[in-house]
Amino acid sequence: MSEVASPTYESACARIEAIIARLDSGEAGLRETLELCQEGRTLVEFCAGELEAVGQGLEELRLGELVTRLES
Amino acid sequence: MSETARPDGIPGSSLSGPFPVGHYAARLRTRLREFARVQVFGEVFGFKAGRARVWFELRDGAGALPCSMWRGDWDALGIHALADGAQIVAAGGCDYYAGSRTSSPQFSFAVTGLRLAGEGDLLAQVERLRRTLHAEGLTEPQKRLIRPALPRTIGVVTGEGGKARDDVLAGLRRRGWGGRVVWAFAPVQDRHAAPAITRALQDLAACGEIEVIVIARGGGSLADLFAFCDETLCRTVAMLRVPVISSVGHHSDHTLIDDVAAVACSTPTHAAEAAVPVDCTAARAALRAQAARLERQSTRAIVERARTLARLSRAPAHHIARHRARLHQQLRELRASSARAVSEGRRANLRRGAALERNARPDRDRARRLDTLSLAIAAHDPQRTLERGYALVEGPEGVPVTSAAAAATWPELSLRMRDGSVRVRPDRDVP
Repeated sequence: MSEVASPTYESACARIEAIIARLDSGEAGLRETLELCQEGRTLVEFCAGELEAVGQGLEELRLGELVTRLES
Repeated sequence: MSETARPDGIPGSSLSGPFPVGHYAARLRTRLREFARVQVFGEVFGFKAGRARVWFELRDGAGALPCSMWRGDWDALGIHALADGAQIVAAGGCDYYAGSRTSSPQFSFAVTGLRLAGEGDLLAQVERLRRTLHAEGLTEPQKRLIRPALPRTIGVVTGEGGKARDDVLAGLRRRGWGGRVVWAFAPVQDRHAAPAITRALQDLAACGEIEVIVIARGGGSLADLFAFCDETLCRTVAMLRVPVISSVGHHSDHTLIDDVAAVACSTPTHAAEAAVPVDCTAARAALRAQAARLERQSTRAIVERARTLARLSRAPAHHIARHRARLHQQLRELRASSARAVSEGRRANLRRGAALERNARPDRDRARRLDTLSLAIAAHDPQRTLERGYALVEGPEGVPVTSAAAAATWPELSLRMRDGSVRVRPDRDVP
């Protein structure tokens, strides 16, 4: 059974850079451009979600509290 | 002042001299070198390594001695460095650099042999363990782990009341990071420290949420930091599947946990920044810019092609309009050309007409004369006489008969009148 690996923040950022570089080159046709833009939007949303996850304000927990939370 | 110019001494002094200071310094050096060569022990302070020599002070509660050692002798010992507080035994003797007019004099205990003692023994133990860990390849596993660029949960092992805790938080905030920090507080200095830190690391790693662990402690003596050279702790760190970032002591300290950790940082603040490689504030701005660029590219791709299509769709109409304009132009040129030609032809005809007019004048005179003659001839036309009621007597074959005698010769005559002819027979009896 094979699973599609979910992107990491770094791989998503690298892919976005590659997409923008490809689009900036002006060599992509209409279909490829639209597909790249769609893929780029998806990745931007993913990265935004990752940044949002660490943008809610620093939360401090003791290890015991985390363990209790995980066990409950 | 000349070397030979000796000034007078202090009046009333019973001391000998005055002597030239260089002479006295040289004698002092000789006397100091005559001191018995001995072994001394104490704590190292202010170790500095130069190209030619290393320097440090050897201290204890009663006094201190500036020491120096030739760099070659030092390197032969195989010791990395001497931390402040390290206890050593140094063998050597007094020496004195007499200085000169341009250089300062300097006293030092010239060390020719050195042995680590007390903490120095600890250092030796540490060095042996370091070599063992390296030989077993335990310094590499952590460095091969993939550290997340943007961890959501970070575990931190540190002393509960230490300044390192605040430094870690400051580093995380400097990154603009607002995730979850899980504190695993542990003693970081006494004999209980190493087992407690080991347990804390194992507990943190057991929580699946922890993506990276920071171990932070401020500076201290080698004995204070020795817990971070514990073999069990170092082996545990080496085998953890969660990346560990160490920040123990000051930048000059080098504990074993630094060797086996994924990353070793000089301060807890730097350790926090290493735990979150991405500057979240900058990353958010960059992501907004990238999203805007993507949208621009998307819009541009469609708009440009739409413009191209519109241009192409307009092309036939433009072609026809261009031809129509050319035809109109040609038509205008043709009309202008025709008008010019007609005008020129008219002028030419006028010229020819005038020429003909000039040439035709004798003919007209002749025609007028001919008309006159015609009129004259017409005046004598018998038909005109007939029109007035006269008749013309004609013989056979239209021969005019102009006398009675001639008429008598013909058996039959013809009377031609205005409206026709009648045949008649002459009456011979009429006289």
